[in-house]
Amino acid sequence: MAWTRARRRWAWALAFVLAALALAVPLTVARRQEPTPPGTPVNVVLEDFKVGLDAAVVPAGTVRFQVRGQGPTRHELIVVRTDRAPEKLPLQSDGLTVNEEAPGIDLVDDVDGLDIDERQTLVLRLAPGNYVLYCNLEGHYLGGMHASLAVR
Amino acid sequence: MPRSPSAEVGAASATQRPAAGRSGIGRLVPRLPILGDLRLGRRLGWVIPVLIVLVAAIVGYNARAIAQQRGSALVVYTAARQRALVERYTKDVLVKVDGFQADPKDSGEAMRQPVDVLLDGGSVRAPQGGGSRVAIAPARDWRVRRKLEQDRRLIDELIRVGDRLLDGGHDDPNYAANVTRLRVLSAQLSSVSNDAVQEITQQTEASLSRLVRIEIALGLLSVLAALGLGLLLRRAGAEQAAQFRSLVNNSSDLITVLARDGTIAYQSPSVERMLGRRAADLVGITLGDLVHPDDQDDVNASLTKLVEAAPGATANFACRLQHKDGSWRHVESICTNLADDPRVNGLVLNIRDVTEQAALRTSISDLLHNLARRSQGLVDRQLELIDELERNEVDPDRLDELFRMDHLATRMRRNVENLIVLSGVDQRRRWSASVPLRDVVEAAVAEVEDYSRVQVAGVHDLTLAGQAASDVAHLLAELVENATSFSSPTTTVEVSGGPTGNGYVLEIEDHGIGMSDIELDEANRRLAEPLAADVAVSRMMGFHVVGRLAARHGIRVQLRHCWFGGVTALVLLPAALLGSEGEHPAMAPPVPAGVMVSPEALLLANATKSGWQPRAHLPLRRHAAPAPNRGGDTDAAAGAGEPVD
Repeated sequence: MAWTRARRRWAWALAFVLAALALAVPLTVARRQEPTPPGTPVNVVLEDFKVGLDAAVVPAGTVRFQVRGQGPTRHELIVVRTDRAPEKLPLQSDGLTVNEEAPGIDLVDDVDGLDIDERQTLVLRLAPGNYVLYCNLEGHYLGGMHASLAVR
Repeated sequence: MPRSPSAEVGAASATQRPAAGRSGIGRLVPRLPILGDLRLGRRLGWVIPVLIVLVAAIVGYNARAIAQQRGSALVVYTAARQRALVERYTKDVLVKVDGFQADPKDSGEAMRQPVDVLLDGGSVRAPQGGGSRVAIAPARDWRVRRKLEQDRRLIDELIRVGDRLLDGGHDDPNYAANVTRLRVLSAQLSSVSNDAVQEITQQTEASLSRLVRIEIALGLLSVLAALGLGLLLRRAGAEQAAQFRSLVNNSSDLITVLARDGTIAYQSPSVERMLGRRAADLVGITLGDLVHPDDQDDVNASLTKLVEAAPGATANFACRLQHKDGSWRHVESICTNLADDPRVNGLVLNIRDVTEQAALRTSISDLLHNLARRSQGLVDRQLELIDELERNEVDPDRLDELFRMDHLATRMRRNVENLIVLSGVDQRRRWSASVPLRDVVEAAVAEVEDYSRVQVAGVHDLTLAGQAASDVAHLLAELVENATSFSSPTTTVEVSGGPTGNGYVLEIEDHGIGMSDIELDEANRRLAEPLAADVAVSRMMGFHVVGRLAARHGIRVQLRHCWFGGVTALVLLPAALLGSEGEHPAMAPPVPAGVMVSPEALLLANATKSGWQPRAHLPLRRHAAPAPNRGGDTDAAAGAGEPVD
């Protein structure tokens, strides 16, 4: 059967769509099957102005902090090892932010600004001890954005 | 007066005339751009709207981007100002609590306003000042709105803490905690405000970036569309040129461009088919080198006239062009003066080969002539027989019948002679000796059936060159018969003459219903430009015969309206055909006006003197009885025409 030009065009279009599907489906499946990183998961929620943790004690070793910003303000998350109480961290001279270089404060790691509905995973290998998680943007710590975590 | 000089002449038929100047390539060439325009229009039809849409979209997006940029800048300014107002409020509260002059209330109100405007929409003072205010639309992005709502909550909280400080002062036991709380809230507000400004800035940048990308895409599409348009135009132009070349190259007609000096500037390749010559060989030579020597004068006259005419004028001519093998091709040319057109700069000739038509016309003319000659011989014999019977007949009634037969046969003979004239073959009998003009006029009158209604008066004693006598008599007979045929039987037709500066004019006046201006113009055109024999001519034989006979001898014939009604036919005999019978025409006494002269009487009287035999074998009246149904006074004619026998 002799194909008209219109039929050939439709055939090309169909072939293109099928090829696109054939490429897209495996990519989607592969993305969904990403391997879960190891470690004890801890869900952290940052919101004005508190830090929420779904666990107060975790086993020593790899801890996977799954941090989610709930806003409305942009926040950061700083993890320090200290034996001080969470609300008793030393402040800098401005009286508004924590002095992370003060004695008794060991900075472990941090997550930079997370805006509303943003997520980030922080994987740390934590030794046993007491830890404080807080946001050190001006006024946020003093506003109540801190939480403690014990690693046993 | 007559609608045409003979009874066979039908209604005017301008449509029968060949469409001079608009045939062959002459028709095709002006149409080419139209065809091209239509095809081009169809192809470009979709490109032009697309271009317009693209340009409009670019302009629209550009305008939107500019507006958005201005609006975003204002929003950022407003958000940033709000942060400064928070700091000012905090400072005012602390200063006031310390007992110094400050107005924290005013600062608090000012601090609220930007947030309210950004959230709910409104107007703010323009950054440039001048008291003008600029409207700001409510924020639509949910992230920005949540930050601004938080901002508003914190401001409210800040004001509450500020109020507590202002109310309690240093004496308040919670003074230190309130101050700290004030500073913390202020810091949080700064943080939120920073966030909001950053968010708005990011969104503005993203939006502008999106607009720029769209504009770039649209611009690229426009460039592509413009390129496509250019390609289509180029292709269409090339196709038009190819189409034109194909038409010109494959046409059976020639297109020749003559330069101002008469040389051929361009020759279409089809000349090889027509004349067996290569087009390149003809460029540079003059057209006259190809034209038959007998036709060169006509061609030169036509071209010279055209060069002197207005730009765009056309002219037609026919001639013979020499084939490479030496034979001659009959051609018809339509010539257009495009000397003022810089693309042509010359005369454009559309030449069509009509050799076959010419041969066909010649054979038809020969056929016509041969048939007419045979009929002419038979009619001559019939006339001789009738003449013999008339001479021997004494019974008036039978003689009258014989006269009527004689006239009918005479008319038949003239019709046959008309055919010979139209055939184009010139086989007339010629007399070397001059003939009295009056004899010729009267011979013409004698050929007309209603001869008795014709008054010949005022014709001078001139002589007419012998070689023109028969044709002039024939010509006059046609005009006189036409006059009698198209006027009332009770009226007369007057034939008179008078000298002019360049010859002698014979006037044939009737008192008929006349002709309209259009009919008169058409008749004069036929008289001035007799056509070749064809079907149209057969229906308008009289005018064409008169025109042809006149053209043979340089005679001009023209019809005019009569001031008293009817039509006057003017026949201008050139001086070269005229001679004097003794005196100058102007001095020769004409026959007194109003005197009726019998044609046969005068013929009989003059024939022997000149030796010229009238064309028609006239029925001679040898008795006084007038012909039935013939008006006018015939006494004189009867008397003068008394038989000799």
